[in-house]
Amino acid sequence: MREEIFSTGIDIGTSTTQVVFSRIVIENIASVASVPRISIIDKEIIYRSPIYFTPLLSLTQIDGEGVRQIVEEEFKKAGLKTEAISTGAVIITGETARKENASRVVNVLGDLAGDFVVATAGPDLEAIIAGKGAGAEKLSRQKGCTVMNMDIGGGTTNIAVFKNGEIIDTSCLDIGGRLIKLDLTTEKFLYISPKIQRLAKGLGIKIEAGLKVKERELAMITKAMANILEEAVGIKAKSEDYTKLLTTKDLKGGYPIDIITFSGGVADYIYNSKETETYKYGDIGILLGKAIKASELTTRIQTVKPVETLNATVVGAGAHSMELSGSTITFTQNVFPLKNIPIIKVNQREKLSEIIQEKMKWFCVENRIQQVAIALKGKQNPSFLEVQQMGDWLITGIGDLLEELQQLIVVIENDMAKVLGHTLYRQLEYKKAVICIDGINVDNGDYIDIGKPLANGRVVPVVIKTLVFNS
Amino acid sequence: MLSEVQLKKIIEKVITEISVGDKVKGPEVDVKAIDETLDDKDVPDITEIDLKAQVLVPNPENLEGLLRMKQSTPARIGVWRAGPRYMTETLLRFRADHAVAMDAVFTDVSEKLLKEMNLFSVKTRCKNKDEYLTRPDLGRKFDEEAIEIIKKSCIKKPQVQIYASDGLSSTAIEANIKDILPAIMQGLEVYGVKVGTPFFVKYGRVPAMDVISEVTEADVTCVLIGERPGLATGESMSAYIAYKATVNMPESRRTVVSNIHKGGTPAVEAGAHIADIIKQMLDKKASGLDLKL
Repeated sequence: MREEIFSTGIDIGTSTTQVVFSRIVIENIASVASVPRISIIDKEIIYRSPIYFTPLLSLTQIDGEGVRQIVEEEFKKAGLKTEAISTGAVIITGETARKENASRVVNVLGDLAGDFVVATAGPDLEAIIAGKGAGAEKLSRQKGCTVMNMDIGGGTTNIAVFKNGEIIDTSCLDIGGRLIKLDLTTEKFLYISPKIQRLAKGLGIKIEAGLKVKERELAMITKAMANILEEAVGIKAKSEDYTKLLTTKDLKGGYPIDIITFSGGVADYIYNSKETETYKYGDIGILLGKAIKASELTTRIQTVKPVETLNATVVGAGAHSMELSGSTITFTQNVFPLKNIPIIKVNQREKLSEIIQEKMKWFCVENRIQQVAIALKGKQNPSFLEVQQMGDWLITGIGDLLEELQQLIVVIENDMAKVLGHTLYRQLEYKKAVICIDGINVDNGDYIDIGKPLANGRVVPVVIKTLVFNS
Repeated sequence: MLSEVQLKKIIEKVITEISVGDKVKGPEVDVKAIDETLDDKDVPDITEIDLKAQVLVPNPENLEGLLRMKQSTPARIGVWRAGPRYMTETLLRFRADHAVAMDAVFTDVSEKLLKEMNLFSVKTRCKNKDEYLTRPDLGRKFDEEAIEIIKKSCIKKPQVQIYASDGLSSTAIEANIKDILPAIMQGLEVYGVKVGTPFFVKYGRVPAMDVISEVTEADVTCVLIGERPGLATGESMSAYIAYKATVNMPESRRTVVSNIHKGGTPAVEAGAHIADIIKQMLDKKASGLDLKL
């Protein structure tokens, strides 16, 4: 029993936009006599679009219509119908105003991108997706080590750390190749991001749009940027500049890094610094690549060239953003796809009801609650009585708010979703739809999309949108 | 060197001395008393050690890597050695696990558990464990008396007849039945399926379910039976499920869910899954290879 699904990845970055389509093959890998275990057995990128410059209305505003045209065109070129796409992700990256851009792009792409496509992501999810696309996750699993991927794009450097195939840390810095733009004919600065202007000031360099470009100054600035990345890895002590360039929280640290991989547009000039035309792209990308190559990042720690560099984010979005639920789950109503469901995670075993009750209040506005999903770790080998008790606690905790919910959605880590789903449905006297899925690890602050069931209704595809990473 | 004749003489002498010694009354040994005074509470139970987390390699190059490898398999890897042999601990554990497997086969499911679960008990035509092991044919048959008990005690023509059977591991039933049976019952209730009267069959082989299917006239029959124990676990249970099973039907008409134990599929989740399979069997009126799940 093999099933193929198609997924799309759309990466709308500060400087470039790209689309990929991938084919994902799922199959029951358990033996005939066992409980099914449906897994992704193959992922293949079947189409890559050329790299477009992101259509912009202003320096920070994305031209939604322009993006739509690109995506429409690429669907045609790939020979795929929009209905054929069942999952994927749209990632809007970079220093641009995320929220407004995101909603604009979502609005124009809405019907184009299939039933089940995510829009936007915070820098943490971007980092994870780029790391997966680059192959850092896989490398860490295969080698049994800790791999840090730095995805250095136009506007930001997204850092993700994987240990044995598990994500353990993320961060994001305002370091990128297009934070300074140059006019090639006049050799003058076109644009300098304010944060970089401040960084340059600290070096005693005054740069602003309209001034003449001096290579020596740019070399100093890119060296300073490379230094900041060294600080992120822990080769050097963290400076004030480092803290200022953080776009989110800092890395948690506390682990040795075995391997660094670089992805993103700048990465190609770290692995291949032969490019002679330094300002080919009218920015500092190539210089930054060379500065990183010359820094201690490549001498103190083993660096490996990842499977994807420039395309890591889009490949990650297209092929690695979806995961499958466990293969024994409960849903009493086929209401999928469900999108943007916020997670309420409860960790404690004691006073479960009270904690659920309290956390549910956070999502209440004037005593009304939006649709939420309650996430639990569950237990590895629970007894029937324990499952009954867990069901009881859940229902007691939700209390009167249950009326407000369309369905009771429970996301659990351990393999017990079918029995817990049955339990909840029975305890609710079959009056409320229940969706209970397992094999999914989520946390407070996450949102999930649950797609249409696959493999004869045995599994559902899930996209976890990590907004704040802190597990 | 001793000649053959000399050797023979020595042996004869020893044998005579032994038989003479037999006649001399030695001190009476009360075996029972020893059993009672045997205090093993300070002796650690080596089967309680989690093999997947136990590292016997001294100073491993990569402890974390070794532990990850061990987590991925129940096989006894990374056990180190004493010269060319196993270490004492490994050898003892191996024998202890073998003993667990033997116990799983040779013990009986306790009456107390059956009572607690409210399961009445019938026997196949096997008289004891030895006969059960040596005569598989008798483990699938019942005498008239047993058939009468089933007929008398069970609801007729249920949609589903579920029963438990010791099979080759009573330990499996002891470990799982309390969790799996209610999980199946709950699942079937959710699906609106009517269940017959569950009971227990001692000394049962899988095809005994065919007789039970014919006697109860159930649409679907499901037996929860102990699997042949191995060195990894003695607690593994299977469910064999068939639509309108009949004696001498092909084996391919059975649907199997195996590997139900705490290291495999948890009993409660397996129970909910089995309820799902039963529902599909009733809907599609088929089982085994005829039922595409």
